This record gives sequence, structure tokens and C-alpha cells, in this order.
Amino acid sequence: MPTPRPAPPASAIAALLVIAGPALADVPADPLGSVMWEVLAPAVFGDAPVVFDERVTVLAPADVENALAMPLAVDATALPDVREMVLVADLNPFPVVLRFEPLAARAFIATRIKVEQATAVRGAARTADGVWHVNGRLVDAAGGGCAAPPRAYAAGDWTRHLGEVQARAWPAADGSARLKLRVRHPMDTGLSAGIPAYFIDRLTVAGEDGRPLARIHPLEPVSEDPVFTLVALPAPGTRALALTGRDNNGIEFAATIPMTEAAP
Amino acid sequence: MTLNRTTAGSSLKKTIASLALVTAGMLAALALPAAADTVSWEAIADDAATTKDVLMYGMGLEGKRFSPLTQITTENVAKLVPAWSFSFGDEKQRGQETQALVHEGVIYITASYSRMFALDAKTGRKLWSYSARLPDDIRPCCDVVNRGAAIYGDKVFFGTLDASVVALNKDTGKVVWRKKFGNHKAGYTMTGAPTIIKDGKTGRVMLIHGSSGDEFGVVGQLYARDPDTGDEIWMRPLVEGHMGRLNGKDSTPTGNPQAPSWPRDKDGKLVDAWNHGGGAPWQSATFDTATNTIVIGAGNPAPWNGWARSPGDSLFTSGQAYVDPTTGELKGFYQHTPNDTWDFSGNNEIVLFDYTDASGKTIKASAHADRNGFFFVTDRNKLAAPGGEINRPTALIAAYPFVDGITWAKGFDTKTGRPIEVEGQRPPLPAEGESKGKVVEVSPPFLGGKNWNPMAYSEDTKLFYIPANHWKESYWTEHVTYKEGAAYLGMGFRIHKMFNDHVGILRAMDPQTGKIVWEHKEELPLWAGVVTTRGNLVFTGTGDGYLKAFDAKTGKELWKFQTGSGIVSSPVTWEQDGVQYVGVASGYGGAVPLWGGDMADLTTRVSQGGSFWVFKLSDIKVAGAN
Repeated sequence: MPTPRPAPPASAIAALLVIAGPALADVPADPLGSVMWEVLAPAVFGDAPVVFDERVTVLAPADVENALAMPLAVDATALPDVREMVLVADLNPFPVVLRFEPLAARAFIATRIKVEQATAVRGAARTADGVWHVNGRLVDAAGGGCAAPPRAYAAGDWTRHLGEVQARAWPAADGSARLKLRVRHPMDTGLSAGIPAYFIDRLTVAGEDGRPLARIHPLEPVSEDPVFTLVALPAPGTRALALTGRDNNGIEFAATIPMTEAAP
Repeated sequence: MTLNRTTAGSSLKKTIASLALVTAGMLAALALPAAADTVSWEAIADDAATTKDVLMYGMGLEGKRFSPLTQITTENVAKLVPAWSFSFGDEKQRGQETQALVHEGVIYITASYSRMFALDAKTGRKLWSYSARLPDDIRPCCDVVNRGAAIYGDKVFFGTLDASVVALNKDTGKVVWRKKFGNHKAGYTMTGAPTIIKDGKTGRVMLIHGSSGDEFGVVGQLYARDPDTGDEIWMRPLVEGHMGRLNGKDSTPTGNPQAPSWPRDKDGKLVDAWNHGGGAPWQSATFDTATNTIVIGAGNPAPWNGWARSPGDSLFTSGQAYVDPTTGELKGFYQHTPNDTWDFSGNNEIVLFDYTDASGKTIKASAHADRNGFFFVTDRNKLAAPGGEINRPTALIAAYPFVDGITWAKGFDTKTGRPIEVEGQRPPLPAEGESKGKVVEVSPPFLGGKNWNPMAYSEDTKLFYIPANHWKESYWTEHVTYKEGAAYLGMGFRIHKMFNDHVGILRAMDPQTGKIVWEHKEELPLWAGVVTTRGNLVFTGTGDGYLKAFDAKTGKELWKFQTGSGIVSSPVTWEQDGVQYVGVASGYGGAVPLWGGDMADLTTRVSQGGSFWVFKLSDIKVAGAN
């Protein structure tokens, strides 16, 4: 690990505390047989109950064509009252891909991630009763996606388009709005020689009234110029969504995303 | 399929149990820094007197770099040994010009390429690190250095090379806020340590910082920010006639809005140089609580070529500035080099001390060893007084030469406060049709009789310890036009040695008389700061990698240790659990290897590095250490 890592977040410490205590949490055996599961499960979920649950759908290609950007979508809309979702790629150097809070949004998130080697990829959704519902699949990959420098660095001044947002929101008849957004950012893992970890670590989608609809907490594995798709549930009559975000250097960015006219 | 969670096997429980042993150790380690207290203004204001922490660049509001610690003395310093060493790592080395801060057993140290580390002060174990992702087109003139951080509340603050200031949570290293204050493509950058002050009038604590970039024709600006949010409170430009800002609105122009110290062209407009006039306050402020005044050096005017700025003194550049923290108004100014054409700058630190005049009267004074070779003692109260003319040459008490062979001035007239310039030392303009003018030999050269590396003042010996250099330059004029992002000098130069046996010269000066009490020669240029202690010791680092200790009264070299790379940083000393430590960063770089001309045969011998060394006496036991 060439680049120093900051101290683990409080949640991870809490997770370690619990397993250090006398009452060990039970973790169900991994149907995917990943060597990382026993270590990852307590670090990611703490002492919360964990179940494998096919109501969580994980969409990813069986063979990863582009290890720098593998599409990954997790749909937990079949579950009631999802409070938080987490995406994990077991054998990546930093396994946790992102955390997602669908405050007023469907329990669905899609993005593109770097893949270091063939691995289990998982989606987990925490319901209101505190239970984590997990599903996943194996993806095969030639690998190397986490240690390659971003393409932006080959193109001269990478700061020129930093933080630029391309986004579109499509309102549906049921009042929801499908939102797809891309932010220009190198999303460095810190594993490329001489380049420190540098990535967007918070994104918030809000309605016109400022009420947050969804929060995304991306981490190192999310691809360069990250793309996210989610389904927001804004207040009726909302004409635009507001996106705000910040990276781990404290650089802030913002965009207003007008609603596309609904299809007739 | 919903698996029953009780299906987990007992082998898994065993795995978790063994994992628990590992994590328990991790937790003990993690718990240590989390308990640390926040830093109050009172603790910062008292920094010079308290030995268990180092909360300010300069080791106190007055910047004396004097410690009352006495465990290490002239008698036992020979027993000084390394306690630990920490590597900054990465492929990023270059100059390490930093000074450490110490608080509650944690060292906060900045490094080249805008990095910061928090280390356990007892063991050197890394607690966290932060590495700014820098753009490719930053333009630091004089290496990718950083001189240190400021600390207040639950945050540490430092400047980055892309002209930003960053606040990090001191316990986690996470960014709390970041403010970009200038265009790095135009040459704005930040290398100096910011300073925390408290406005005596409003009771408001402020983060004070400047900018760098005089070599690229920036307009030097001093900023005050809210340490909690990073929001700007005021901004003061240091080129006369430029508009300041207060609470987000235009405040007042600096000095006379007509800028009479800058020339006008034949159409009556201020010359182009005025738009890019320099004066950047790129070092750290000291703070005078008695008069509620920020004291800071202003950089050289831009371009270096004085003909582009003649006639006039090019205020408020190459001098010492006295600023009101409430409004950001410039109250007083003393110019060390009027119409500076030699890049003498005025940035070197300004140390606040008590001067005793011939009649025995104590005067609140400022001390400053300038790049122009003179050591200035000025009347601080005169310069901090509000109202009247800002430029106050008669605030000069004394100006002593602290290096040999000064050519540009014979001395200073203490009645007028101005230099007695030697004719012919301003290189003439190129003759018609020529690209460069006649070459003039000048000393000190633009790298100065002393550069940024701060001196120390002993409360015991009443001497200043000045890390100086003996060298000279061939200097000539070239044509100059401003182009954004390009060097804006209009001068050509080549630095030469003055003596065969040394360049660096550490000198102890009596500020009452200007007498050199002792001196110590170094083969390489001196580019490290100095610290002095009640143990009658003076510590500084050398370009060839030694941390050295000297007898503060006699200058006798008593101890040295080879750190593996050159030292161009400022050492500090502190005490923890009954042990006195001395800490210094090692890692060669800075302006000399880049700009030093004939110094190349000396500087290319030095290995690159990047580490922090901590020393203690060999026979002092550290409680709780193995």
C-alpha cells in the first residue's frame, strides 16, 4: 500500500469493537465462496444482522471487458423501507465501492467501477429493522483496474474540466425522476506511483426546496469521471434537481439539473 | 433464498476470535490521538513560555525561537542521540523547509508537494497523512516547499502550492475546508506557514496568511480568514493604490490611491509594472498583542528590473508591514530597500524583542536580517501607531551589516532611515540595440545575505543567531514585458562564491551594538532555521546534512549528527513526560540548488531525502517505551 491511508471511519472502528467483544456476531456462510467474506462482513456491516436475500438484484457482466469501468447496478426495490445500500467488490484493494442513502429515492443505484481481479461483487441493503440484505455474483476479469493512472492525465491539464457535471433527469408518470449524472474527476485510488488518493467522497441530490433526496458516498473503486444512475422521488411540481458534492481535497462542485419534459 | 443466519459454522467463530486479537491492538492504537484536546488561543499566546508544545511557527507570537528548556545543555549535548526517524515516503522528495508543531504528544509536520503528517511524538508512528492532489502547472519559483502549519481548535491549517489554504481535522486528517485564493497558472502559490492571531478589539480569532509569486508578477496579498469556515474576513494588497477587501466588499486602497511611489507613463497612466507589482508576504506573521498589530515582511517589487518602476520607491514592497487585524488596514511600513532592483525582498521574519538604547531605555522593537545584508532594528510602537503617513523611514533605530562585502550600500542614514546607496550598483539599461546591459558585480546576491530561514533570539544571551551566507552575483539588465504565468524579472544573474572556504556563516549578533560576537563557517550555503535554548545552546542544520549544536555564548561546535540528506528546515525543541526532544526535518532542496549558479558543484553532492528526525539524551529514559 504505497500511499498512507487515513484512520478507518468511526463505523469501521465500531465494527471492530463489536467483534472484539465477548458476544461474536454470527455471519452466514458465503454462497459465493469468497475468501474475503469472513473479514469483510464484520468490517462492512458491524454487528448488524446479515442475510443473503435474492430480493436484492446485482447486475454486472460475467466477463469484465473494461477493468477500469465495469457497470454495476444494485436494485433493492423489492425490499421495504431501505435506509442504506453498500456496494462491495471483495478482491479490490479497497473493497467498499460506495455507500448510498436513498432518503427520498428508490432503493436503486448504478455506477461503473474499477476491478483489480476476478472477484465477488455485492450489493447490500439495510432495511428499517437494521437487517442487511445481501446478494452478489462473481465476475471474471483480467484485472489491473485499480492501479492504472486515470486517462485524464494523458490529456494535458486534467484540472481544466474538474468537477464539471453532465446530467439529465427524466420524470416518470408516477412522480419519480430517473437521474443519470457524470462528474469529471480522476478518482485516483492512491495506488498509482506518485499520485495520492484523490476522489469524490460525497454527493447529494436535493429538490428545489433544498430537501436532500439521496446521498452517495463514493470511494476509491468508483471509475474515473464517475457515472451514477438513481431514481429520485422529488416533491410534485419539481422542475429541477440540485447536485452538490465535494472531493477528499475539499474541492466543492454543484450543478442544477432541469427535469426533461415528460414524454407525452 | 433467505439463509438462516445461524448456519454460520463454528470455524468462522474461531476466525473471528483470532481476528479480535489483532483488532484489539489496532483499537488501542487508534484510541490514543482521539482523546486529544482542542487548542485554545490562550495556549497559542503562551507558546513561547510553555515547553510541552510548539503551537506556532516561530515558537511564539514574537517569533524568537527561544525555548526555556534546560535538560539538554552545553555540558551534556554530546550525548544527544536519535530517538526515532520518520520517512515522508513517496517518490516526492525535494526541499523540506518545514517547522514542526507539537500538541498533546502529536507532531504535525508538513512536507514537500503539499503534504502533511501527524505523528506520535514519542515513537514516530504515523497517525494520519494528507497529500494534496496538485495540478500539473503549479509555478513555485523556488522549489515545491512548505514551511509549516498553524493549529487552532480542532484543526490544523496549511497552504498548498496551487494557491489554496486547507483546514484538516487535527485528529483524523480529513479536509474540513479548502479555499483557493489565487490563480496558480498566473504564479500565485503558498509556501509559508499561516498564523493564528486574536484581534484584541473584537476578540475574533483569525487565520492570517499571504501568497507567493513575486517572480511571476503577482500582486502580493495578505488575508485574514475565519478559522472555522475559511471564509475571508479581509484582504490587503501590498502594492500602493490597489484596493483592499473587508467582509466581501471593497474596503480602502492601500496607502495613497494615486500610488505616487510608482511612476506614470506619458499618458499619465500608472506603468504596467504597477499592475503586477509584487510585494507578496510569503512568510509568516508575528503578532504584537500590546498594539494589536500583525507584523509581516512584504516581498520584492515586480519586475526585479527597477527601471520599469522608476522613479519611485515601489511601496509597499521590500519592507516590513504593520497591519490592523480588525480592518486589514496598513498602519505603518518601513522599507528596507527603496525601489529594490536586486530582489532583496523584505520577507525575512520580523522578530519582536525589547531593545535597550544607549541611555538604558527599553524600546519595543522589531528585528529583521534582510536579504540586502543589513540587520534592522525598528521602533515597533512608531510603526504600529495608527494614522499619519504609512511609510515611516524614521522608525529606524539601527541598521548593521551582518555579512561581509556588501556592495550596494555603504550603510543607512539613521536620521532619514534610508540607505546610502553606492552609485553604479543598479545595473544600467541595455544600450540601444543590445539585449542585455552592462554586467555589475553585486553583493549580497538576490538569494540574500540571509534568506527565508529564520534566525533565533536568546532571552538569556540577548544575541540574535543569524544563518547567513557570503556570496555575490554578476547582475545585468534585460528587456521585460509581462506575460501571465511567465517569469517577470527583466534581470539576468549568476551567483558566485565570495570566499573559497565557506558560503554559510552562522553569526551571533548583539542588537544593541551590531557587533558580531561569534561566527561559524559552513562550506555549503545555510538554508535552515535556528533555535536557541536556556541550556545555552544554538541548533541549526547544514546543507550537507548535519544537525549541529553550538555553545550560545562562544559559538563552539559541540555536537553534530548526519541526517542523510541536506537540512533546509527549522528545528524545534519540546518536552514530553520529562524528556527534552529536538526535532528537525531533513531533505535537501529550496532555492539554492535551482538558482545558486556556481553553488551547483556543492549542491549536487547532496542526496535527496524526506524525513523527520527526533533526538534526546542517551541517558534519559522514556517512560513506557521499550
